[in-house]
Amino acid sequence: MTITVTIRSRLDDATDPERKALEPILKTENLWKLYHAGKVEVPALRGVNFDVLPGESVAVMGPSGCGKSSLLYVIGGLARASRGKVLVDGNDLTYMGDAERTKLRRSKIGFVFQRFNLLPTLTARGNIAIAQYIHGDGYDPHRFDVVTKMLGLEGRLHHRPSEMSGGEQQRVAIARAIINEPKILLADEPTGNLDTKNSDIVLEMLRRLNKDLGQTIVMITHNPEATTYFDRVVHMRDGIIVDGVPAD
Amino acid sequence: MMGQLVLRNLFHRPMRTLIGVMAVAVEVALVILIVGLTSGILQETAKRIEGIGADIMVQSPAAQMLITFSGSPMPIKIADKLAELKYVQAVAPALLQFNSTGGVETVWGIDAKSFREVSSGFVFLQGHDLQDPDDILVDDWQAKAKHVKVGDTYILFNHKWNVAGVVEHGKGARLFVPIATLQDLVGAHDKASLFLVKCTHPDHTEDVIAEIKDLLPNHPVRPLKEFMTLMTSTNIPGLETFINAMIALAVSIGLLVIFLTMYTTVLERTRDIGVLKSLGASKVLIVRALLTETSLLCLLGIAAGVGLSYLVRAGFLALFPTLSILITTEWILRAGLIALVGAVLGASYPAWLASRKDPVEALSYD
Repeated sequence: MTITVTIRSRLDDATDPERKALEPILKTENLWKLYHAGKVEVPALRGVNFDVLPGESVAVMGPSGCGKSSLLYVIGGLARASRGKVLVDGNDLTYMGDAERTKLRRSKIGFVFQRFNLLPTLTARGNIAIAQYIHGDGYDPHRFDVVTKMLGLEGRLHHRPSEMSGGEQQRVAIARAIINEPKILLADEPTGNLDTKNSDIVLEMLRRLNKDLGQTIVMITHNPEATTYFDRVVHMRDGIIVDGVPAD
Repeated sequence: MMGQLVLRNLFHRPMRTLIGVMAVAVEVALVILIVGLTSGILQETAKRIEGIGADIMVQSPAAQMLITFSGSPMPIKIADKLAELKYVQAVAPALLQFNSTGGVETVWGIDAKSFREVSSGFVFLQGHDLQDPDDILVDDWQAKAKHVKVGDTYILFNHKWNVAGVVEHGKGARLFVPIATLQDLVGAHDKASLFLVKCTHPDHTEDVIAEIKDLLPNHPVRPLKEFMTLMTSTNIPGLETFINAMIALAVSIGLLVIFLTMYTTVLERTRDIGVLKSLGASKVLIVRALLTETSLLCLLGIAAGVGLSYLVRAGFLALFPTLSILITTEWILRAGLIALVGAVLGASYPAWLASRKDPVEALSYD
């Protein structure tokens, strides 16, 4: 059965010349990712072509094992592509070594994970500040205050992750991810460990980041309802992108 | 920020941190105490030898620098030959016998008269000089350690001695008995372990040494004025090797415990390392964080080790008042540096492992 879909985004309103003038902030060309299980090669990504324009929010959906996380890790520079091209804000990750990808990640990419992945020994303030420390610009109190206020974290900054709810922890993780104004925010099932109420809060936060601050977001999700918060939905199956249902 | 992370990580697992600190403390204390004990014994012995007041000491060819353990008897008639030399005022023979029963000490058998001539005599705190064959003189430290006073019986070499006098410490040995009685007891008739020579004037010491070397070419002849500078571990065969071996052992203990501590730390924090890498932390930063944590743990251990050294020394001195354990600033610093280098080496492999962790695998670690 062939599924014909129309992928819509808010950029559909732009005229053709305006749209053509926009360079993708993220672009993959014939992207392959192969894992080796002993002597067996397992392709997680099979020739993926994927574009994201600046300011877009894209949800990537698909069954478990379809390659969503692998796509996220490769475009985020956490893993290396086996074949093909990955361009992030004009930087070709394909031939970059670990040190260069680390540098790129530091300056251009923010990650949010399903399991929050906060450092358990630091407070919320420390977890956010360490991202600034690693970035190398040091503590910026103004940016810190803007981000924590926007995410409603002012009263929780002195608490450690074990003293916070899942929703609060994920908001701290989002704050950590955006504190250095990354070009792209990559979210790996950020609502996977949250209840409905906190999921809605986190998704709304992400939507506001995209709409109000123009943050480019690529999010992996299993949750069809989550896609309503995003401009565009992309479906994956067996390591390739297939057309999917529109966001609304 | 890194400091905050390091501190919080250290106190997140207080028991593990405590074990690491204790390992370093034991390592540091071992180094300080081993060196302190050997230096203390050497220096204290040298002080006592210098304190006799003689100018020259003549030993047998087989004698060791550490005369505490030397038997090596020579014919006592050598004293007569020495006394005939120009610029020699007096000669006192001494027979040294090591005792390890009921304590560890060296007993000097002396001729009271000649010893008085060479040393200007003892300072008596109680009692009198050696008069009878079974008399024994005990210095004040030994008397305090053994709880003896004048008139008490002192058993040594399965022989009952009468404490004739308690003397001020610092003149050669802690126990003095008549040389003739000791010779009989140990079967060294007409023998002496060393000869102490007093010159007519200190300026003649070198001349007398030259004469003695002509007379006894194979015998070690040493000026006592510089004896303390000669009593170092480098001059005692095997001692420096022993000290270095003990230091290496202590460092190995510390290194292995730190290695294990940091290895388990890295395993436990695999996901955290993945998080740091996802934030863009370089390998250098990750290594630096772990080595900083190790260094801080080591510094705590060094401080504890120094305290432990003083505590153990106090304990030893309470039990063995005649023991001398020398704790110097130089060796505190050296022990600290050795511990720090050992700790950093021990943590290097786990830190390197951590820096090389695949971030994707680390993030999915449970």
